[in-house]
Amino acid sequence: MNDGLKLNLGGREFDSRLIMGTGKFASTEIMIDAIRASGTQLVTVALRRFNRERPSDDLLGPLLKLGVTLVPNTSGARNSSEAVRAAMLGRELSGSPFVKVEIHPNPHHLMPDPIETYEACRELAKHGFIVLPYMPADPVLAKRLEDVGCAAVMPLGSAIGTGHGLSTAEMVRLIIADSGIPVIVDAGLRAPSEAAAAMEMGCSAVLVNSAIAAAGHPAEMAAAFAMAVKTGLAARRAGLMSRSDHAVATSPLTSFLAGA
Amino acid sequence: MPGEIPAFLDPSQWLPVALNASPADVRRALNSSQPAEADFAALLSNSAGDLLEELALRAQELTRRHFGRTLSLYIPLYLSDYCSGGCVYCGFAADRKQTRHKLEPDEMVAELDAIKAMGFSEVLLLTGERTPHADLDFLVRAVETAAQRFAAVTVEAFPMQAEDYRRLAQAGAVGVTIYQETYEPVQYENMHRWGPKRDYANRVETPARVLEGGMRTVGLGALLGLSDPLFDSLSLYRHAMHLRRRFWQAGVSISFPRVCAQEGGYNPPFPVDDSMLARIIFAFRICMPDVPLVLSTRETPKFRDGMAGVGINKMSIASRTTVGGYKAPVESPDGQFHVNDDRDVESFCAMLKGKGLEPVFKNWDKVYRD
Repeated sequence: MNDGLKLNLGGREFDSRLIMGTGKFASTEIMIDAIRASGTQLVTVALRRFNRERPSDDLLGPLLKLGVTLVPNTSGARNSSEAVRAAMLGRELSGSPFVKVEIHPNPHHLMPDPIETYEACRELAKHGFIVLPYMPADPVLAKRLEDVGCAAVMPLGSAIGTGHGLSTAEMVRLIIADSGIPVIVDAGLRAPSEAAAAMEMGCSAVLVNSAIAAAGHPAEMAAAFAMAVKTGLAARRAGLMSRSDHAVATSPLTSFLAGA
Repeated sequence: MPGEIPAFLDPSQWLPVALNASPADVRRALNSSQPAEADFAALLSNSAGDLLEELALRAQELTRRHFGRTLSLYIPLYLSDYCSGGCVYCGFAADRKQTRHKLEPDEMVAELDAIKAMGFSEVLLLTGERTPHADLDFLVRAVETAAQRFAAVTVEAFPMQAEDYRRLAQAGAVGVTIYQETYEPVQYENMHRWGPKRDYANRVETPARVLEGGMRTVGLGALLGLSDPLFDSLSLYRHAMHLRRRFWQAGVSISFPRVCAQEGGYNPPFPVDDSMLARIIFAFRICMPDVPLVLSTRETPKFRDGMAGVGINKMSIASRTTVGGYKAPVESPDGQFHVNDDRDVESFCAMLKGKGLEPVFKNWDKVYRD
């Protein structure tokens, strides 16, 4: 688990542990305001939203000007070969060594394909990418992806865009327990409190998009998520007390043994 | 003999719900986290019509959740109006006395370049029923030409075999739209007077062949007005669900064409008013929150502005329904149907922006072609 002062991904360090997605915003200006308010240093953007021919429709140009690190993603790919091609083009156009591998062959529920994701990650790591895979919350797959050279794993909290929060919490805990690379919860978070919970649990970062883009005031919500992520991390570092199923007396029954 | 509706599309079981649902049934459907077929039927009912604002609020919430505050845009290009079909309601039917056209290769390039200059990234290529003038080879060439210029190319043409769709996919098409027109077999036969299109069963099986042929998406729809809209909406729902179960990687989208007046003065036997059309769209959005719902320029600016982001997440704009017409004015101004929203791209986008919606032109990339 990566729990240094900074988030380390493939040898690059980041102060912010909130990663932002760039889809679904009502305008590019609103997206940029939200990114600024979040203090994020890492932003993911779909290659399919790169549009060099119509600048007003292009997400890449405005993001390049922001000075954040771009993580092009392969959303739209339905198998590993498409994802690899998209990653190559994304790197060429953005100049970023990062790639977020997103392979969801079912365009409706957008669940990641574990088999194709594994293949694509193995290939892209060999090509020198800093690979961040969006994946089902599966502890075995997480270790497999670590073994092939991924810089982090990004298990889903719940389905993309649903706002169902950390419905995979039990699996994410297992992933964190065994992981030698950062674990970043991606997708499904609705409220900053859920981002705080993910950080308290041991995640190294969270990725949020819909919850910010769909908020009544996206920039304010982005700032709220940023605070929650910091709070959750601070709480984890402060050492959370353990949970107990029953009340614990302040004078334990064995106190008479003290000094015996 | 009219064809028979296959069991997987037959809505008989749910028609009584659509006719008789109570306000309580509608509220249950509105509050369901996983609406089922009975809920869809309830949302089509007159009781749902009395709760239209609540349906709209729920539809907007779900559209926003799945598609964000965005609206995807595309543009149609009619390649040919030669047609062997005898569709009673269509401006291109074979017995209409009109001069026919098709785009020659140089015209096709000029039209596609003109569309490209308007800023579009997705183009829908259309023809009528198969003729020697506009056959599969003609379509393949058109797709190849378009695919050199556009990120996303889709096709709406005559029904084909899976291997034909494979050729179109290899040429660069990502999707095919094929409307059943009406799922009600007797009305279907009345509407399609001759030719291959009379074959109800063949048409109903076509979307599955589209996906067997390797297309990523298939667009479904019923031409509202031809038959009982409750029957057609329920069958359309069943068709979409069936295809999603059978083709787990398929993208299914649904359009809501409505018969409007055009050459020949055709009056639809089951006219669907704005309120009913809105109810149908909301019912689909509430029960299929992750399915793209599409509305064309057949509809008026007032209706489209009201539905943008409130159920509908994809629209055409600046459309011509004549053969070509983007590069140069056409000789015959009669299109397949009358365009009721004739705004240009920039004024339409300004309207969207005013409603807090981001117009999205490019949401696909050539890199995903095989």
